[in-house]
Amino acid sequence: MRAVRLWIKKEGRAKYISHLDMNRCFTRAVRRAGLALWYTEGFNPHPYLNFLTPLSLGQESDGEPLDIRIEDDMTDAQILRRMNDVLPEGITVVRVHDAVTKPAQIAFARYSIGIELPTAAAAQAFCEKARALLLRGELTAEKTGKQGKRKVVKQVRICDKVQSAAFRTEGQCVLLDAVLQAGGEPLNPALLTDALQKAIGTDGLVRIRRREFLTADMQSFS
Amino acid sequence: MLDKTKERILNAVQKPGRYTGGELNSVVKDKNAVDLRYAFCFPDTYEIGMSHLGLKILYSLVNARADAWCERVFAPWTDMEEQMRKYGVPLYALESGDPIRDFDLIGFTLQYELSYSNMLNMLDLAGLPVRATDRTELLPIVAAGGPCVCNAEPVHAFVDLCMLGEGEEVTNELIDLLIEHKKKGSDKQTFLRAAAQIEGVYVPSLYDVSYNEDGTVQAVTPKDGAPKTVRKRIVSDLDTMFSPSDFVVPSIEVVHDRTTTEIFRGCIRGCRFCQAGFIYRPIREKSADVIDAQCRAVCESTGYDEISLCSLSSSDYTQMEPLIRKLISWTDDAKINIALPSLRADNFPKELMEKLAGVRRSSLTFAPEAGTQRLRDAINKNVTEEEVLQTASQAFAGGWTAVKLYFMLGLPTETDEDVQGIAALAQKVVDAYYANPDKPKGKSVTVSVSASTFVPKPFTPFQWEGQDDGETVLRKQALLRESIHTRKVSLSCHHADTSFLEAVFARGDRRLADVLESAWRKGCRFDGWDDQFRFDLWREAFDEAGVSMAFYANRRRSFDEVLPWDHLDYGVSKTYLQRENERAAESRTTPHCRIRCGGCGADKLNGGKCDARC
Repeated sequence: MRAVRLWIKKEGRAKYISHLDMNRCFTRAVRRAGLALWYTEGFNPHPYLNFLTPLSLGQESDGEPLDIRIEDDMTDAQILRRMNDVLPEGITVVRVHDAVTKPAQIAFARYSIGIELPTAAAAQAFCEKARALLLRGELTAEKTGKQGKRKVVKQVRICDKVQSAAFRTEGQCVLLDAVLQAGGEPLNPALLTDALQKAIGTDGLVRIRRREFLTADMQSFS
Repeated sequence: MLDKTKERILNAVQKPGRYTGGELNSVVKDKNAVDLRYAFCFPDTYEIGMSHLGLKILYSLVNARADAWCERVFAPWTDMEEQMRKYGVPLYALESGDPIRDFDLIGFTLQYELSYSNMLNMLDLAGLPVRATDRTELLPIVAAGGPCVCNAEPVHAFVDLCMLGEGEEVTNELIDLLIEHKKKGSDKQTFLRAAAQIEGVYVPSLYDVSYNEDGTVQAVTPKDGAPKTVRKRIVSDLDTMFSPSDFVVPSIEVVHDRTTTEIFRGCIRGCRFCQAGFIYRPIREKSADVIDAQCRAVCESTGYDEISLCSLSSSDYTQMEPLIRKLISWTDDAKINIALPSLRADNFPKELMEKLAGVRRSSLTFAPEAGTQRLRDAINKNVTEEEVLQTASQAFAGGWTAVKLYFMLGLPTETDEDVQGIAALAQKVVDAYYANPDKPKGKSVTVSVSASTFVPKPFTPFQWEGQDDGETVLRKQALLRESIHTRKVSLSCHHADTSFLEAVFARGDRRLADVLESAWRKGCRFDGWDDQFRFDLWREAFDEAGVSMAFYANRRRSFDEVLPWDHLDYGVSKTYLQRENERAAESRTTPHCRIRCGGCGADKLNGGKCDARC
């Protein structure tokens, strides 16, 4: 049995596949690819397949780490090719290697975020206001969570979880390069953009793409 | 496919994966390289529609042609509809994202009456007039198929034509004809007149209907050379019939998320309430080798880990044991589960059940349908209490602890004693669990009783019967609830109003078309969904139109009445159905087709052949 980490690119229409459905999707893809997956040895055996970091519905990613365990001695290159032959549109395996590092080392994630506004002027105004808001450090958002079966609303202090945020504009688009907390209680970048848009009073089309994961000392996680 | 507007609305709706397409094995072609574009519409949600085997077959069948491109369309949920209307996005097909109003053929599969309003809504969302007469150009042609078109009269005003029976052959013939007329530049009438000459194609506008003073149908008169009766189509040989080797694999979870393969068509049982048991005749079996090969191919191309063997009554398949042996020889290693829906309680061998249980445990469902032997005889559900209890005991011994029992309330000749009999039978199943020495230790048993309301359907022996009125249904439901004295039996009853509306439309005539349109305009859609069903609006629509729902649902018809579907021929003869109705009134059973041929007449559709006689 070998623990293998696959890095999954997810873009285009595929961004609307939820985290749970990604699991199902890969269980089938692995079967189609003919990989001999290691099955858990419980009462109801199921293939071991684990996305380390959930990605929100509607967000793209350059590489999501997926750990699997396989029984045969297929090489990394074989796994990559076989998987890419059978994956649906928008989902690609970009890298395969032994799963060595622990997921707990993930501390941050870097995102590219685009917010499309009606005019270039609106985009520039947005940047200024957003910078000021983050500097002041008061940005909060409400997050609904569950305590057991009960639904609870939690206040999230967004600024505490923003490691860095660099704004610029390109025409009517605000482009934000942000490093956000991804370990512990991660910050969903959509919470940040929603809070900014709400505070500034805009309703732009938001596009979010996860670029990479970082360790506590800002090294790329792999 | 993903433009800015679509991206914006997809961000605002639940389960956007319903509306994106791009799934594995979905077919994308060059639209300029095909002669015909076909929008296959399932008038319910993606999750329901993608579970439907017929869609998968016909999708692959049309896409196997180089000259046509079939795409899928489902009913957008209410949140998506709101967004689409707000941003002016017309109903589009999943593969290309192109509006379906630009397609050549739009086909709806009508699987249940309560999806009719969705069909109208989808036409409207597409930007097309809902009425066939308001769509004056040749294209797009709006067609309908599926079991409901055995009485298509309530939707006659909205569709241009119906395809009766099995679609594998008639779909291709219709596509050939439409391509021909499209190239010739024919007008719509010319095409429809030609289409009516294809066996199995029913063009409602080529038939005039007159009514008697009492509201019943007087006569149905064909015109412009349309045939007097339209006979449904069947595929003669299932082994050589087109069967897809790959299915579109949904990226989001759907209801039946697995490989499905048919094992035979038709049913030998003749349960008198069951429309499927009559309209899919005659019996035709697929051979075990062909099924085995097809399952293997589909599992490989989809990666599914479950195979569902599909038929109306799995245990009547004559080659079940060899089939299961063949399948298990490779599914066991591949950790693939085999599911056998529609299993009858009376003839399932223990050895087989253990084989299936060995792979993975799924739940067990029996449908005795009625609570007493007398009523089971009347509906010709030839299952005895002993058989139900014996099979349940076997199941318990095999490790099952949950059993589902399906019943119907309001069956013809039903008395209070029959209703109480349901509770008594459920109690006996509970008792059988505790009487079992091999029962799993420390586990309780759950017997889930589901009681639906009987809906009389066309082409069944009960097509003349009246449905119980709402008050009676509610009283019987209450009686059943009172009769259950243990918490190990849980009861769920169907909504009486939905079954009532279903009964109205199942045996409706052309005058219901106006009511349907008015109810849809009032906001009715997704009527099969309890949280969307607006019976108040339906009642309003019927009241305003001055149309009595009871006339259609609750009225007992006489045998000599002209029924709205009498000009459609589904093989089984009216005299046979009447004979069965009369036997029901006397609580007399009819043996199943393998014991003695009942002479239903469906074999004539297959040149006198019927696999029940082998």
